[in-house]
Order: sequence, then structure tokens, then C-alpha cells
Amino acid sequence: MAVDRRGFLKFVAGVSAGVMVTPIPWKLLDDASIWTQNWPWIPSNVDGASTYVSTVSKLCPSCVGMKVRLVGDRPVRVLPDDNHPLSKGGISSLAVAEAQMLHSPARVKRPLKRAADGAYVAISWEEADALLAEKLAAAKGSLACVSGDETGSINDVLSAMTGKAGSSNFYLMPSEAQPAAKAVAAMGGEGQLGYDIENSDYVLAIGANILESWGTVIRNRAAFKATRPHGEEPAATFVFAGPVQNNTAAGADQWVPIKAGTEGAFALGIAHLLIKAGATADAADFSAFARLAGTFTPAKVAELTGVNEDQLKDVAKALLKARRPLVITGSEFGQGTGAASVLAGVAVNMLLGGLNRKGGLKLLPVAGPVVDGAMTRAEMLGKDFVAYMSRINAGKDKAPAAMVFYEANPAYALPQAAKMAEVLAKVPFKATFTTFLDETAMLCDLVLPVPMGLERLDDVATPYGSGQALYCLARPVAPMPAHVKPAGDYIIALAGKLGMDLGVGTWEEVLQAKARAMGADWDSLMDGNVHVSSSTVNAQPAFGAGMLQKGIATKAAEGDYAIAPVHKLNVGTAKTAIPPYNNKTIRRWELQGKELYVAMNGATARKLGVMKHDKIVVSNKSGSISARVNIFEGVMNDTVAVLMGLGHTAFDQFSKGKGENVMQLLTVGFESGTGLSVWNMAGATISKA
Amino acid sequence: MEKNYSLPADHDLFPDGAKRCSLMQFMAWMGIVGVVAAWGLYAAYKVLSTGLGVTALDDYFGFGLWITFDLAVIALGAGAFFTGLLRYILNIDPLKNIINLTVIVGFICYSGAMLILVLDVGQPVRAWFGYWHANVHSMLTEVIFCITCYLIVLIIEFIPLVFEQKQLDRIPVLHHIAHNLHVMMPLFAGVGAFLSTFHQGSLGGMYGVLFARPYVFRDGFFVWPWTFFLFVISAVGSGPVFTVLIATIMEKMTGRKLVSWEIKSLMGKIAGSMLFVYLIFKFLDTYGWIEHILPHAGLTFDQNFYGNIYGQWLLWAELGVCGVLPCIILLTPSLRNNPALFYSAALLDCIGITINRYVFTVQALAMPVMPFDSWETYAPNWAEWGSSALIIAYGAIVLSLSYRYLPVFPQEKKLNATKA
Amino acid sequence: MEIKEFKVKWGMAIDLDKCTGCGACMVACQAENNLAPIADASNKIKVMNWLVVYELSNKKPFPEHDVAYLPRPCQQCGHPPCVSVCPVVATDKNEEGGIVSQIYPRCIGCRYCMAACPYHARYFNWLDPVWPEGMEKALTPDVSVRPRGVVEKCSFCHHRFMKAKDKAIAEGRDPEALADGDYVTSCAEACPNGAIVFGDLNNPDHQVYHLSRSKYASRLLERLHANTQVYYLSRREWVRRQLDNYLDNEKVKG
Repeated sequence: MAVDRRGFLKFVAGVSAGVMVTPIPWKLLDDASIWTQNWPWIPSNVDGASTYVSTVSKLCPSCVGMKVRLVGDRPVRVLPDDNHPLSKGGISSLAVAEAQMLHSPARVKRPLKRAADGAYVAISWEEADALLAEKLAAAKGSLACVSGDETGSINDVLSAMTGKAGSSNFYLMPSEAQPAAKAVAAMGGEGQLGYDIENSDYVLAIGANILESWGTVIRNRAAFKATRPHGEEPAATFVFAGPVQNNTAAGADQWVPIKAGTEGAFALGIAHLLIKAGATADAADFSAFARLAGTFTPAKVAELTGVNEDQLKDVAKALLKARRPLVITGSEFGQGTGAASVLAGVAVNMLLGGLNRKGGLKLLPVAGPVVDGAMTRAEMLGKDFVAYMSRINAGKDKAPAAMVFYEANPAYALPQAAKMAEVLAKVPFKATFTTFLDETAMLCDLVLPVPMGLERLDDVATPYGSGQALYCLARPVAPMPAHVKPAGDYIIALAGKLGMDLGVGTWEEVLQAKARAMGADWDSLMDGNVHVSSSTVNAQPAFGAGMLQKGIATKAAEGDYAIAPVHKLNVGTAKTAIPPYNNKTIRRWELQGKELYVAMNGATARKLGVMKHDKIVVSNKSGSISARVNIFEGVMNDTVAVLMGLGHTAFDQFSKGKGENVMQLLTVGFESGTGLSVWNMAGATISKA
Repeated sequence: MEKNYSLPADHDLFPDGAKRCSLMQFMAWMGIVGVVAAWGLYAAYKVLSTGLGVTALDDYFGFGLWITFDLAVIALGAGAFFTGLLRYILNIDPLKNIINLTVIVGFICYSGAMLILVLDVGQPVRAWFGYWHANVHSMLTEVIFCITCYLIVLIIEFIPLVFEQKQLDRIPVLHHIAHNLHVMMPLFAGVGAFLSTFHQGSLGGMYGVLFARPYVFRDGFFVWPWTFFLFVISAVGSGPVFTVLIATIMEKMTGRKLVSWEIKSLMGKIAGSMLFVYLIFKFLDTYGWIEHILPHAGLTFDQNFYGNIYGQWLLWAELGVCGVLPCIILLTPSLRNNPALFYSAALLDCIGITINRYVFTVQALAMPVMPFDSWETYAPNWAEWGSSALIIAYGAIVLSLSYRYLPVFPQEKKLNATKA
Repeated sequence: MEIKEFKVKWGMAIDLDKCTGCGACMVACQAENNLAPIADASNKIKVMNWLVVYELSNKKPFPEHDVAYLPRPCQQCGHPPCVSVCPVVATDKNEEGGIVSQIYPRCIGCRYCMAACPYHARYFNWLDPVWPEGMEKALTPDVSVRPRGVVEKCSFCHHRFMKAKDKAIAEGRDPEALADGDYVTSCAEACPNGAIVFGDLNNPDHQVYHLSRSKYASRLLERLHANTQVYYLSRREWVRRQLDNYLDNEKVKG
């Protein structure tokens, strides 16, 4: 049949009209809502059965307990754990993103070796094993080992290996636990300081950032939560003394501005007023202490710390009035403080009758080592890595032939970070066990990937700050990536290869031994329960007045302006850098693009002749950083508040190259008496850029 | 027919008796416009392929240059419906001499606005949901309805003009269509006026109903906030002179008289009268806003302004220099008949309305409502400027083609005969 | 003004004296609702965040300065400025519970709702969401991933509401009368300070019922009559004064 033009047009028109009355075109149009939602490049959700596993975070310094939600075998959420004493229904801004961090672009996925040209090449584990064994054997005791894990039994294994290699150079990364341990030693006490915040009705935090980063912070905050029902008068008073109105000050009922690094002087000023009001303590050196405190008159303390005298007196009065007051000294940024300020804080607690009292300061029992040749916790905390590095720098100590890092990032996290990296460069062979490709890994000859806390069996024993001795396990809830190996078993095997006998066969044996030492039940721990002990160490400690007197000597900081590092967990730690999900929480005027903002009050800005957004350079003999100015009236006069955790030169697009590292400006000094390295009193000069 | 090689190559397509530049010259002009259009097309491509992230818009300024541009061109394009209304419904006959141009300008403005909207909505493929899942309570639904319908009306009004092109007119069927459409034009003018009034109003209503944005919120009459009426009247108070300005620019560029002074003056007088009515209401509205709406929201007048970028000068410029001043000039015969003053007044009028649309769009969003929030500022980036320039280039192309080939200006022959 | 009333009305009571601004709620929200991370988040007004913690200052110089932090989820208004303006009914307040919905496949991305919302609770997907390679494995199955070009906002973790109702039905309880704590949002759950209390504002068995009636409680921009379902509490007058605009001569409530 021939179709003419007219016929064809008719046919087309007929078909078109016919199709239009069917639902086809309308359905297709309506489906636009579906296909414009599901482009192939948009990831889609994958369903599965949800399960929840209780564990503890090895990533967050708060050691927060958490419940991990798995969909199939994929962890998708980290949730608070109501039953965990370090969570009590809360979660930290860092741990809450831990499931996502399993897939962080900064993760090391296989062993890496630095080639001659400085580039990193992926190698097999066999090759890595051989290289590490060879270098450690060749080092013959000229070995140092640094651990960034403060609470795990991995330190038993690492210190035992170091010791058996003939070296005493096992170190923990600096934290608040070391000065606290030194203080306990100076007092002639034993055990670990514990803080019973839950049962206190007046908590005075001197420097200690107790509602943001200090100690077992999520548990601190649970105590804070418990004492203040919504919209009602709080049942406990929280007071914060420090140079910056930080997150702790924001929650506290009162902020007492004092200069950075003068926590000890402030505490002695309180002690002075308490003793004047008749407070005493049953300690051998009370009179020596009273003499020392006698010199810390309100006027002198005001001069040293910048505190308002009336505020000081009010705090002392309130402490006397409180039923169960508790004083916590610490560093606003969790490190760098001396033993003297801890001693001064403990002294105030003793004057308030707060030692081993409900709602007071406790001496918690510590489990002994469970690996042959391992250091005790007291020994570990007695070691000072910064001092060791300084000795190497000064030529007083020889650089070791090999250095092994375990989840530690000293190249970023130590004071005078650039200098520290220089010193590290003197070590011929460096290897690191790490999850992320951090600054330290970038200095190492060998990078060994370890699983994240969610992927491995690990433990947490009484973190510093906890109010009671406790022990719990981090259980592997997620499948481990193909080419990473847990460090515990690896090091035990390595030690065997090097001919050392650590007395344990597997990592799990170590943990079981530790559980026994802590008095915990293994099966219960493996069910996700936490072992908690209310026991304390009976002791009649002294004030350590002699040591305190030497250490408290207040020195003037360099330059006209004080630096107050501000520590916030949401920015991440030296080990994690900024987690991908967290950079949205960095405040607008803390970081813009790659530029750091530092905060100062209006009076300081006027004195400097700068306005908000102006560029400045903050420098001292240790280093210098450039930044822009933010005006925040919650900073003391002549003080510049600098957010920590920025200025990474490694990691990924979420952290690298953003802002500056305040550690560059923190100059190391040494506390007289204890010889402890300290860096909590940095000064600087500020100039317009 | 004997070829006359002194005439442009395409002279057979020209309207009867019209002189046009050479084809080369015309192509050169089109080339210049084409470069701008190409830049704009690239911007549009980037927006559509990458997403609106390439613009300077953000979560505070969800509306920016594009919406300002749309509102401004739609207001200024109001010459089309209002002149149509006066010409066909109220039978003001002399307006036939400019009605074609108003239709073309209206068509350009509305179709251009639609093109911008395609870029501006995040999901252009779903744009028709406005019909499919219409929310009758939304002013924007009304806008979507009226603008799309009115664009169809404008196309219908434009068609006869295209069909009257010398060569096309010879085709009987087209000739008849054009003729019949002409006969029906009063009907379309009426429909157009209705649709146009409503969406001009709805555009204003869009802002007036934002009761949580005290800068633009207005109570009103029945379901319509005052801005509904203000936007309608301000559009008709500026649209006619915008057409005149376009005509004048075309005259300057072509060197030919296209519209007689009387017509321009008449358009000016019409716009001036409407502007006068508008200003009365606008001043009342501003007074009511300051005395009523702001205190009720706990705000003071000063809190509505910020620095230079969103300073009070914008308000005074809008109401004074670009409001009262052009109104006086346009309504005073002696001033109006001074061409320099007349064109300045026309320009100021258009600028004033554009400022109005700008502050309602951008300043309203810049202003913090939560006391602890801060003022934010917005400056469009290349992607937004580029695509806006594309629309202007598109308008220039349509106008140039229309002028060259279509009998747009009935007076052209007569006005230029005297010169020859 | 017509206010949508429901038998069950989910709401929050946020104690601003307890919030210390740590940001855990913001991170928990992102992870729960499958928001994509972004390499540079410094342009705060172009970064997707259903929940933002604002910083409030008493505006006094040192040492009189005081600071407060205010978490701002969607306020789930009883008289939402955003709903009536949406041309395509992509957002609605129509479900028992009073949560303002957002239907992503319906949204055309005109952003009119964003202009309407004075709380800046609404966010636009300016670009397609991108997860670092492999991180999409940590997406939850509960909330669909949104493409570029649509507006989104806090949903009070609506999927958790559905789950709680399903659970109640399975256990033979009345899904319209959930017990306090049966359904909580991710932010309220995460907050270590317990600053966010979530529950049914209409149910006297729920804590928020009483908290919303506290003399210290008020809502954001109450005088605009959006009638929000989020209450803020503070014992500090200066904080309460910043919850709404006040003329100099006006006294703050509470």
C-alpha cells in the first residue's frame, strides 16, 4: 500500500493523539521526580539488618563508651552508650564520627616504604617484616619507642620489647597524666589521681578544660548534666579559671579569668585563704606548706595570675561553704603543665578534706604490668619524651639508631614542632604503626598500617581523670581492611623474631592477663561490660611542699602577649586530624579557607591597633604563625587565644594546609625540682602583617 | 525583477519602504552580540552541568541577581500588557504606533525571565510540577501559572507581526491567520492584562506574605498583601517608559526615526501618572511599615539597613531621586517635552523600580531576623552575570531581527520621508 | 493566624545554660541523616548543616563578657512560613506529630522556602554530594541521599519516629502515645550535656511538656507568630533577650 504525504501525516497525528490518551507519557513525566532523584553518580542507601555493639573509643582521648550501629557488617553510626560509665548517654564530637573515619582518605591501606628519592612505595608485609626486623636487630638496643596510646596494654608490650632490646627509652606522648604522676610521687603517695566529679557539689576547674577535653570528658559532662535539670537551679556549682572563656567556661556557672600557666599560683592563693580561715590537713609537711601558701596573698596572686582579688576570695569562700568541693588543676590544652600546679591543686583538696572522700580527690589503684619486662605505669609516666628529645638536640644524649612510633604523631603534636621534627631527622631509621598518614609517618622510613579501634581488640585501663578504676575492651566490630595488621600480635611476633621472650603468645593473652590484674571478668568484658572498682589506695600523702616551692617559681613569659592554646575535641587530635564530618563544626572565625583566625579582646586589639580580620604575625623565639584577628571578649587582656589542631601538613583534604599549628609557638622549659618539661606559658610578640 | 546591487543582499525581506544597513554591517553587529551570548551560554552550561554551586548564591541568598533581574525585566516588560490594555480595551488609538514594540519587548522580557528561571531552579526538569502538584496557597504558583500563560499570550500577539513580514505575508494561510489574530487582539489584550496584573501582583505578593521577614512582610487587603498592588502599579508606572527608552536606543543605533515624539510623550505621561499613584501608595506603605510592622516585630527602622551596601541611601534613591523626581518631570508638560529631561526621567524611573525589586529580593535576605544572627552580603559572580548578559544579548538579537525584517514601526516610513 | 494543631506535637526543650558548644550534635546529625562531608567548610552560609550551633554574646567587654551556644534545628513551626509558599507542596505540615516534611523528589529547587524561613533552617544542595571513596559505605539505610538542586532541612529524624511507631505497633502499644524516650532525635541522643530534651509537647508524661511551660522557656522570634515547636531555656536574662527582637523599652519574659 502506498502511503502519500497526507496519509503519513494523518498516521503520525493519529499515533500521537493515541499515545497521549494512554498513561504512558504522563507516567514517564511523573517519573521525572524519581529519575531526577537517582542519578547514577549519587550513592544509594544499602539496607540490611541493624545490630548494636557496645565498645569503647580508642580514637577519642575521652575513652568514651559507645554503641556502634551496624547495618549488615558495616558500622554506620556511633551512638552513646547509656550503660558505659565513660559515656552515660553522651558521645564526643570526635567519637561520633568514628564510623565514617573508617573510610577516611588519610588512612594508610598497606605498608609503605620510603624509597631513596623520598617517595613512598607500597610494599608487602613480608618485605616490611624483614626490613623492620633487620633494622631493629641492627640497632642493638639503640632503640626508642613512643606510644600515643595512654590507656592500653599495648604499652606493656611496647615497653617490654624496648626493655628487652636493652633500652629504657620507652615513652608516652605528653599529657596531663605525667605531671599528675610526678605530683603523686612527690607527695609520697601511690596510685593514680582520680576525680569524683559525680558526687561533688562544687567543682573548681583551674585550667582543666573539664567540659570539653580534660580527662574522661564525656563522663565529666554526664556529671554536669546530672546536677542541672533543665531550667532549674543547679545542684552543683561549676567554676572555671583560665585565660579564655572556652567551652568549659560556657557551661560553668562562673568564669574566673587567670593567665595561662598560673594555675598553681591561683591554687596557692586559694590555699592561703583557706588556711587563713582555719583549714588544715593531717600531713607531715603541713607547716612547710602553710608557710609557702602564706606568701601567696591575694594581692600577690592577683599580680601573678591577673585574677580579680574579690573573685578569688569569693571562690575560696564558696569552697569552704560547699559540702563536697573538688578542685581540679590541669592545662587548658591538656599538656605542658608542671607537677607543681597539680601539687597545689591536690593541696587545696587536702585542705578541704577532699582526699579519698566522696566527691573529692581519690587515689586509684593501678594494675601492674602483664608482660615480661614491661614497665609499670608509674615508670612509664615518669619518662619524659620532650626532655629526651631536648637532650638529643643539645647533644647530651645520642640519637637512637631506630625509633618506633605507635599511634603517635610527635612531628605534629610536640611543642616547638618544627624543632622536634629536626631532631627526629637525626634518627637513622624510623618506623610507625599508624592508622592515618600523619606528619610523623611522613618522616618515617617504614609505615605500618594498623586497624582502627573499631576493627581491633584493644583495651582501656583507668584513663587519667576517671573517678574510679575501670577496665574495658574495645572489640572489633568492623571487618579489618585487607592489608592492615593489629599491632599487638605483630609486635609480639616481631619480638619473638628478634629473640626476645615477652612471656606471652598472643595479644589476647595480654589482655586477659590485664583483665585479671584489674580484677575483671574476661567473659563479661567480652560481652561489652565495663569493670569498675570503687577501691582506693590508702595513703597519708604529704603536700610535697618542698617540690612545690621549687616548681611554683613563676617565670615571666617571653614577649608582651600571652598565648592561650584552645583545645576542642571537634577539631580532632594529633592522631586523627580533622575528621571529614567535623570541619563543619569549626566556627566561622576560627578558620577561613586556609587562614587561621586567632581571638583577642577589644582592648588588646586596640592596643595593637588591629581590627577584626586584620592580618597579624604572632612570633617568639620558637617560631611564628600568621593569622587573622577575631575579636572575642572572652579572652584576657594581652592574651591571644589560638585554636589547636590546625596547620596539618599531612593527612587529607579535610585537614591538610588549613591554618597553623600553635605548637610551633610553645617553648619548652623545665620545671625546677622535678625537671619535667613544661610549655604552658608561652609568650609572643604580635605585629601587623 | 531587476537587481539593485546598491541595496543590502537581504533587502527583499525588509518591511515595505524601509531602509536598513548592509548585511555585512548587520552581521558584524550580530557577531558582537553573539560573543556576549556565547559567554552567557558557557555560564548557563556550567550552571546546568555542574550545579548552582558555581554561582555566588548561598543558603542566605537563595535569591540573588537572577531573581532581581527577572523581577526587574518583568516589571519593565509591563509596557506590553498595559499599552495593550490602553490601546485595545480603552481605545487610546495613537498607541498603535508603539504597540508592536511593546509586544516584542514584553515577549523578550518574559521569555528571557523564563530562561533565567530554568537556570535558577535547582531541578529544571521538574519545573512543570508547578502545574502537576500545584499548591494553590503559594504566590509562586500563581506566578508560574500567569507567567507561562501570559508568555503564550505574548507569543500569540507576536505571531501576527511575524506573519506580516513581507515575504511571509504572501502566503495566504499565514496572511489569514495574522488577519484573524488581529481581529481577536482585544480579547488577547484583555486576557493578557488580566494575567499580567495578577502575576505582577503575585510577584509582589511573594514577598509581602513572608510574615517571618519583617523587611518585606506587609499586611494587606483580603488575601493580597500591599506589595501585590504596589508591584502592579509600579510595573505600569515604569514599563511604558522602558519601551520608549528601547525605541530611543534603537533610533540612536539605526539613525532612523521610529516613534514620533508625541507618542513617546504620551507614554511618558501615562507612566508618570501611574508612577504618581504608585508613589502615594508606596509612601503610605513605607509609613505603615515603619510605624506598624517593624515595631510589632520588635525592630527599629535603623535595623533594616547595614553599611553602604544595604544603606538607607537605597531607600531614598528609590523613593526620591528615582521616584518623586521622575514623577514630577513626567507629569509636568514643560519638563516632559524637554527630551534630555524626559529620557533622564524615564531612566530614573526604571532604575527606581529596579532598586525596589533588588532590595525586596536581596536586602530582605541580607538582614538578620534572629538577634544573634549577622548581616550577610551578596555579590553575584561571573556565572550569574554571564547568564544575565545572555538574556540581554538574546533580547538584542530578537529586537534587531524584528527591526530589520518586521513592520514594527508604523510611523517609520512617514517620519523618515521628510528627511529624504 | 491559623496554627496547625495535632494531638501529638514533637518538640524540643534546649537548655542554653547546659550547651557548651562542643558540636557533637552537629556531627551526629550529619552522620544520621547522610549529609556529605565537605573539604572546605569555611563558607558557613553555603555549607549543608541541618543543625547549627550559634554563638551568642552578651556584647559586654572583658571581663564582663558572657557567652552562650544555641543549637538551631528546624523549628518545626506550627504556622510555618515555608510551607504555604512552596509552589509544589514539596514541604508540608500535615502529619500527626507536627513535623514539617520535606519531599526531596518533589522539590523543584526554587528556594522560596529558604527566603521565607527566618531561622535559616533550610539548606540547598548547591552541588551533588560527594563522599570520599568508600565512605558511602557508612551511609545509614534510613535517609535517602539527596541530589543537587533540592532543598533540605532537619526532619527531627523522622525515620526514627517511623521506627518508634512500628516498634510500638509490633509490641501492641498505641503508636500515637509513645512513651517519653521511645523516639528521640540523633542530636538529643548524642548531646553529652543533655542540653536537648525531645518529646511530645502535648503529653504531660513527657518531660518537654513541662519544660516548655517553664518560666525560663521561650521560643525563637515568638512575636513573628511562627509558633515553633522548639523551646529554649535559660536562667540568664540576656540570653532570653536574644531569642527575640525587643525594642529598648520592652521587657523580656521569664
